[in-house]
Amino acid sequence: MIKLYDYELSGNCYKIRLLMSFLGIEYTPELIDFYPGKQHKSKEFRTVNPLEQLPVIDDNGFVLRDAQAILVYLASKYDSSNQWYPRDDAAKLGEIAQWLAFADAITGSSSAARLHDALFYHEIDLDAVRASAHRLFRILDEHLFFAEEVGQNWICPGDCPTIADIACFPYVMLSEEGGISRMTYPALRRWCDRFKRIPNFCVMSGVFPAGPSDTA
Amino acid sequence: MTTALQELWYPVASSTDLVKRHVYQAQLLGREFAVWRADDGYVNVWENRCLHRGVRLSIGINDGRELKCQYHGWRYANRTAGCTYIPAHPADAPARTICNNTYPTQEAFGLIWTGDAAQGDLPDMNGFENYTVLRPIPVNAPQQLVALALAEYTFADGCQSTTDDDRSITITAKEGQSIRFFVQPCDSNLTIIRGLLNRKALGSDRISILKHHNFLLDELRGQIEAKATNLETPAPMVAKIAKISQELSEIPSESGDPRVADLRVQLMKKEMTAEGVVSLQFRAVKGKLPTFQPGAHIDVHLQNGLIRQYSLTNGPGETDQYTIGVKREPDSRGGSVAIHDDLREGDVLAISAPRNNFPLRRDALHTIFIAGGIGVTPLISMGRTLNAQGLGFEFHYFVQSEDHAAFKTVMGEFDRALTVHKGLAPDETGTKLREILNEPGQARHVYICGPGPMLESALEIAREQGWADEAVHFEYFKNTTEIDDTSSFEIDLARSALSLTVPAGQTILQVLRENGINMGSSCEQGACGTCRCGVIEGEVNHQDVYLSPAEKTEGKSIMTCVSRAAGDRLILDI
Repeated sequence: MIKLYDYELSGNCYKIRLLMSFLGIEYTPELIDFYPGKQHKSKEFRTVNPLEQLPVIDDNGFVLRDAQAILVYLASKYDSSNQWYPRDDAAKLGEIAQWLAFADAITGSSSAARLHDALFYHEIDLDAVRASAHRLFRILDEHLFFAEEVGQNWICPGDCPTIADIACFPYVMLSEEGGISRMTYPALRRWCDRFKRIPNFCVMSGVFPAGPSDTA
Repeated sequence: MTTALQELWYPVASSTDLVKRHVYQAQLLGREFAVWRADDGYVNVWENRCLHRGVRLSIGINDGRELKCQYHGWRYANRTAGCTYIPAHPADAPARTICNNTYPTQEAFGLIWTGDAAQGDLPDMNGFENYTVLRPIPVNAPQQLVALALAEYTFADGCQSTTDDDRSITITAKEGQSIRFFVQPCDSNLTIIRGLLNRKALGSDRISILKHHNFLLDELRGQIEAKATNLETPAPMVAKIAKISQELSEIPSESGDPRVADLRVQLMKKEMTAEGVVSLQFRAVKGKLPTFQPGAHIDVHLQNGLIRQYSLTNGPGETDQYTIGVKREPDSRGGSVAIHDDLREGDVLAISAPRNNFPLRRDALHTIFIAGGIGVTPLISMGRTLNAQGLGFEFHYFVQSEDHAAFKTVMGEFDRALTVHKGLAPDETGTKLREILNEPGQARHVYICGPGPMLESALEIAREQGWADEAVHFEYFKNTTEIDDTSSFEIDLARSALSLTVPAGQTILQVLRENGINMGSSCEQGACGTCRCGVIEGEVNHQDVYLSPAEKTEGKSIMTCVSRAAGDRLILDI
């Protein structure tokens, strides 16, 4: 069974939990006390990931770090529907990679602001990371507005969400914990509602479920 | 005190922002709004704040009829913003004073308009009968800076700009294309540009127009924000949040008859819904109708002076009208006959605000409704509430024949949960009730309303089958008990520090009123529960049909309209 080095309040770990839930993959969580225990900086954990970051998975001895990389691996190996990371669609794989990098930038800004406000990372330059999160949200909101205009619901074109949506969702949804309001990003707020209505969606602390859509 | 700015209409959203089952977050002059469209199309603009713990309602759940706060599940009704349910108090009806602040709203030209105290007309939109709403652009800068920059906006050859009295900015190009901009001052340093083009663009033409202006406005935003960063950032605006509306915070005025009927409604629709049963639909003559909860009833003051109670059949969020059902009872005192024969569409009547003495729990795992004849009305409202929330229930409706089944159309939504039992003799009804009630259990609740004999037999059967008293809820529509008012006794009023004598032939309620104690009442025959009063000491001779047997035994409450002291003296908590 897959082992997930996990921390409940980590949005990056949440990305992996989301995909596992969507795909119905069972896993064993290996809980790492990120705060206040700083267990990710322990000698034992450094042998798992020298970058001292979560998440990491161990799939029968194959160890992989980095949330985006793990999404690519799990979707490629375990998604029989070929929806989350369509292996034969070059253009779409390119777009997904583009947005995975974008998601990493969201982590670097929105998540950093949250670490400052919620987990006492006082060395972070709060104004700078908030400003860059807003810059990214403006771009994503505009992208989603024009996607909606042509009847598209997700970050990459097509009828289904991909791992690009999963990679962007957690630190968009948790942005207010870092003092980053989403009020002026209405298309982004609607996309969050749609994302929460994906079958088998799961929550984490600070992320509420959506109500039923009108299709019921 | 409102300022001139607060009386203006501002656009705060595009119509297309309010997708189904979504809650949009807006801000105007420092005040935040939760904006949501109900399934009936109504657009709600509310204070973005739950009355309970102040959590933003914009993160709440729009279920199409009500808005539910994410924090502790308080529910607020479409249109009225009145609280309809508090999960921590599942057996109680929330007070009518729990009502969120709502703001004036209009939807026009593809935009949602509001304002703190907006009044008068929307800006004149001559020449914009056909329009395309541009993508709104938020700018981190004060309103004045944005307005000045917009006057210089150029999107084609020969653009001319005019600034109107209503503060809109219109840019007209040589070939007749026009853009009208409105600026929405969210806060002192946050402004949203909302633009309309004076023609309806479709398909790829629409996309390229939207992209073209989005690009130009984004450029403009860059310039404005660069300027704004060189200025000192103004202090944020602070919107005052009114604690509670004036009307709700006032103590109701004293009146001789506390059965106040301060609502004026007009009969919009009167139609037969079953053999001998008429359905009546009322709308407010002005303003909104107050919030109701499932199980609530209203007093209807008839033209012949009679006051009658009728339960609302409305579903959740169905707040633009009240619907009641009235059965013709030729042998009664004339209320129903007057309604059937004399009341016409268009007539104006006085009614009371809804009162709920028959609250519905929404925390049951399973709910059983048992309706007999016209007793179906409060249960329809309850069933529709559970149905809308996808909570499990079964609905048993006992009628004389198919022709006697009322409100069939609206009950169609119950689908397979509904069973209509037709033409059963009393013993057959008993057998059927035994079947229906054969499985009492944890978090299972039953609600019964119907004619006296049927109700009593249902209560008896429920007790025999082991249903707990707290799980069996019932409402009589009349009290057929022969009231014995021959006793005479003393009442001591603990809070009013008064001692009074209730003589034979008078009720406690009458004596209270004669002595200036204003006690609410409704049916005045011991069926509705409105005139309930706490008992501190003394034994009660209960003659009502409202209290449950357990409550009667406990002796802590009395229905002052019919019940009396069993001994010489009662101490009442009033």
